[in-house]
Amino acid sequence: MLSFLYARQSGLDDPVRLRRAESTRRVLSLELNHNRDVARVHGNGINTLDIEVIDGRYMLSGGSDGVIVIYDLENNSKKLQYSCKTICTVGRSSRHVHKFSVETVQWYPHDTGMFVSSSFDKTMKVWDTETLKPAEEFQFDGNVYCHHMSPVARKHSLIAVGTKDPKVQLCDLKSGSRIHILQGHRGEILSVRWSPRYEHILATASTDSRVRVWDVRRASGSLFTLDQQNGDKSKASSEAVNTAHNGRANGLCFTADGLHLLTTGTDDRMRLWNSATGENTLVNYGKVVNESRKGLKFTVSRGCSPEFVFVPCGTSVAVYGLHSGELITMLRGHYNNVDCCEFHPDYQEVYSGGKDCNILAWVPVLRQPDIEDEENNSKRGGTQAAVNPAFEDAWSSDEG
Amino acid sequence: MSRKRALIADTFCLKRRRSAADAVAGDSHEGAADIRSSLQNLMTLFSRKLFNDSLPPVVLKHQLYSLHSDRTSVDKQLNELRASGELLMFQLGFDSEAFALVFAEDYRAKVLQGEAGRETLETVEKFLDKLIPGCSDLSFNKEKMLKEFLFTDSEITQLVKSGVLTVRDAGSWWLSIPNSGKFIKYFIKGRKAVLGMVKKSKYSEILKTELEGRRTTSHVKFQMKYHIHDIVGAELVECIQTTSGTVLRYVDGNIN
Repeated sequence: MLSFLYARQSGLDDPVRLRRAESTRRVLSLELNHNRDVARVHGNGINTLDIEVIDGRYMLSGGSDGVIVIYDLENNSKKLQYSCKTICTVGRSSRHVHKFSVETVQWYPHDTGMFVSSSFDKTMKVWDTETLKPAEEFQFDGNVYCHHMSPVARKHSLIAVGTKDPKVQLCDLKSGSRIHILQGHRGEILSVRWSPRYEHILATASTDSRVRVWDVRRASGSLFTLDQQNGDKSKASSEAVNTAHNGRANGLCFTADGLHLLTTGTDDRMRLWNSATGENTLVNYGKVVNESRKGLKFTVSRGCSPEFVFVPCGTSVAVYGLHSGELITMLRGHYNNVDCCEFHPDYQEVYSGGKDCNILAWVPVLRQPDIEDEENNSKRGGTQAAVNPAFEDAWSSDEG
Repeated sequence: MSRKRALIADTFCLKRRRSAADAVAGDSHEGAADIRSSLQNLMTLFSRKLFNDSLPPVVLKHQLYSLHSDRTSVDKQLNELRASGELLMFQLGFDSEAFALVFAEDYRAKVLQGEAGRETLETVEKFLDKLIPGCSDLSFNKEKMLKEFLFTDSEITQLVKSGVLTVRDAGSWWLSIPNSGKFIKYFIKGRKAVLGMVKKSKYSEILKTELEGRRTTSHVKFQMKYHIHDIVGAELVECIQTTSGTVLRYVDGNIN
């Protein structure tokens, strides 16, 4: 660590290198911390979490009871023990609350004045954060499984919506109408995701085992379908030709640079694809247990040197190396199935929510405070900071 | 959970990297040789006498995963061996992810041995000549057989009769091992029996050494180690390291 600091100081190394090395070390030491807690508000399982992009301070959560809660993640108290408080909730008593389970919530990508939620009551609502009233409501014919707004869009403000209908709908925030339909899938759309690199590229995953990548500017169909055999028709049985998974494809996540796409399916496999060509990179993650009937929400770390994937696997969150495919560790702590997880890029923390109505915060723990230092602190009333053992010497006295 | 030794990223292990730098150079060659030796080890576990010596030694791809931890590099090295024509891969049919591996010379020897004296011998020889050095496909469709390989319809029928090709779809065939039906039947039965043994143990877990020492029923025809590599590699049981050795714990939610 000191060598990294020295290299940065003298200009031998790029500044990014120190940052990446430290981020990676922090992610590798993620643990459940009894100092950090998230207030428990939901009465039923938590389906989705979203942390806003601008400050990384506010987190949205949507539950199976239709309740939406906003938390403040920042620790303004001087104490180590901190419980993330709720700022406001759209509870069951609100007039505009969703009737059934909320499946996806997302902050408006450019500020926290607005957020969008979609639910099994076949509606998608655009909420004003100040008044907690919906400014816009979109009605659909079937259950809405997921929606996504592009995080980098400047020229359009489209929300892609995946419902029970095989057609992917694009809704426009500016005009408030549904302006575009993407046809091509043959089953329910379980997951949609915009690319974080190009504002016109959209990926969709469906129960017909196919994952398609679209350019919304094109009038004709999808750009390409992800094929797990990379076009080698001889490997698969005839029905499984040109599919991304051997079961339902239910999870999608782009890496932070948008160059790779991860997909998960109910065949217990996770695959990594090159998002420009649609080629399967054939990284073998082993068995990634996946029994979800709806979409699976997982996340990739940002800013680390070998990137990590955090996937909910049963009652724990599995951490895999992105390009190596090895299982690094399992984060165990939930009492019931985990449904969603979200990575906080500034603090390298992971928040996960599940059917046990808890949101757990996994915080990097780097160095245990020395027991001796703690005793000294309590003697002096905590006024003097603990001396680093590296700077202590045997002949100077502690007092004075 | 508290770990005794924390995970350290590669970037921080500079000392280890410097000393291992010399070993890195010869890595890829060693890697392929590594897989080859593991394959040969696994092939010795295959019981030839069971099939009256009519089958070449068969190993399943996921058995290699129980020996090597990095699956992606195992896959890469297997593809290299297949491309060089040393190894053949077959789709067995009972599981879309179960692939059988056979060394090309063994395959050739056994197939010709089985075909000796039959009228299909010539066609099979022609097919093997086309297949072994160049082609690494798992299945063939009609176009390929007629145009590329220049086989006639009657010759294709002869190949199917001899067992080298099995029907996959109208107009396409899987590459297969002749007389492998018995192998698949015994294999599936044995796998079920071994998994049943693990499941019936107290807490559904058993020490690996204890399982190897158990008496097998008549359902289990292969060697116990062969089946253990199979269930560990296919992740049908979880492998847990304990102070008394490796423990295999049955994973709930399996179909078998």
